[in-house]
Amino acid sequence: MGIIIPVKVIVDGDCLGEVLLVDRRISFYGEVDPVNGVIRGVNESVKGKALIFRGGRGSTVGSYIIYGLKHYGNSPSCMIVSEAEPIIITGAILADTPLFVALDYDGLVSLVKGKPGGLHARHKQGEKHVELEEK
Amino acid sequence: MYLTKRQEKILMGEEGPAKARALEIIVRVGESLGADKLIRIRHAHVSGISYLNIGEPGLKLLEELADTGGRAEVYTTVNPSCIDLSGESLIIDNSVADKQLRINKALEKMGFHPTYTCIPYLYRPPSINEALAWGESNAVVMANSYYGARTNREGGPLALAAALTGYTYHAGLQLIENRTASVRVRVGFEPGEGDYGLIGLWLGENIEDIPILEFPKPPSYYGLKLLFAASAATGSHGLIVVENVTPRNTYRVEAEDRVTIEKSMLEKYQYKPGRDESILGYLGCPHLHPGELYQLAGMIESYERVRSGNALLLSIPLDYYYTMTSEIAILRRRGVDTAFGTCPIVSRLRGEYDVVLTNSGKAWFYLQKLHGFKVAIASPREIVRAIMEK
Repeated sequence: MGIIIPVKVIVDGDCLGEVLLVDRRISFYGEVDPVNGVIRGVNESVKGKALIFRGGRGSTVGSYIIYGLKHYGNSPSCMIVSEAEPIIITGAILADTPLFVALDYDGLVSLVKGKPGGLHARHKQGEKHVELEEK
Repeated sequence: MYLTKRQEKILMGEEGPAKARALEIIVRVGESLGADKLIRIRHAHVSGISYLNIGEPGLKLLEELADTGGRAEVYTTVNPSCIDLSGESLIIDNSVADKQLRINKALEKMGFHPTYTCIPYLYRPPSINEALAWGESNAVVMANSYYGARTNREGGPLALAAALTGYTYHAGLQLIENRTASVRVRVGFEPGEGDYGLIGLWLGENIEDIPILEFPKPPSYYGLKLLFAASAATGSHGLIVVENVTPRNTYRVEAEDRVTIEKSMLEKYQYKPGRDESILGYLGCPHLHPGELYQLAGMIESYERVRSGNALLLSIPLDYYYTMTSEIAILRRRGVDTAFGTCPIVSRLRGEYDVVLTNSGKAWFYLQKLHGFKVAIASPREIVRAIMEK
């Protein structure tokens, strides 16, 4: 049994993926390239990951970029945020990418930082939590 | 959130997949913003349709929505696209026309009116306290502040979702309690034509809350249009109350703070081009109103033509190609470049110029930010004088 992270489900769906933590707000328009799935500055692909980040910011075109990730086969497995705002919610619905708000986001961040070996995240549709397991 | 039986049926997909997805967007966003229910809107205005902004992902999504039965549920207008629809402008770069025309085709298939303009209130002036869902920040402020209608500052995809469902969430500026002006801003001088954009830039940069503006004399309609656009570019205003202009009972005032704007505070936005610099004059941000175009054609008629090395670009709604042919002919004969259904903020430009002269604070802001131009603000009269010869 892994660590249970309680979440509020915004867009439901199954999620299974390696945790990628980008502890800031992301402007998907400008910062994420949908064609290769890479977050600029972080240089990591979001493809198949459980992407943990604070939330969205910047242009509302960001919703189309989240949809674009799906179109190019680079969608994250799910997104776990501190705050769900319109850009991210809209993008998640358009792309069918599960979206959760972590009830204790800061606690989640320190937990992830405390496991440098990496974590896997798992969520089954209908559940009210995400389960984390060490690799 | 409370949903009616019909809304629940739409969510279940009974009226097609496109509408279900669109309504889910509005419900989820509404829930996150604390809305108690959805409300019907009368007019959606969809922004974010330029191929240069939304790219392949946007194109694919719009085509998918159109092909899966997405149709306008209410009167819907669309923002400028990235190409000149007359195909005659020498300044607007039409190289992605194929892609943009596919977007336009998808929009029109969904039943959106091919207005391609950022002044949708020209086509359907909003009524007092009427609910709208508009993207395009300049139009949002105009709808709330001049017409006394109600719209939040929607992003492109949300306005699109509202168009396909006819609903928006009951939150934000849809509620009278969120339309409360909390700072009194007095304009301490009588603004000339070139000053409204400057006042708007200052307001957007310096005042975060909803302001109530007081002018020494009644401000002009065209002036307010420039002021609102500039303010919405540098700030996040959706409503700017203007005393004796904004309809009563569409806002409240609880203002204790008071600020005065003096002309000296606006100097940082000004710059005088040198004698040898080549100038691109630009008017039409927001798109020129028919009255503005008429006045401008009258002013330009007394000039011979645009001085070589300079250019004068006007951006206007596509309709004027058919309705204002006399004015357009006067302008074209004098070498003025007219771009229909687009503008330099959502498109790419051809040609090189040392400096852009414009009356628009919004263009001042974005042309520096997006295209790296050196930009200065002047009145239309000053711009025409600097660029044309008798």
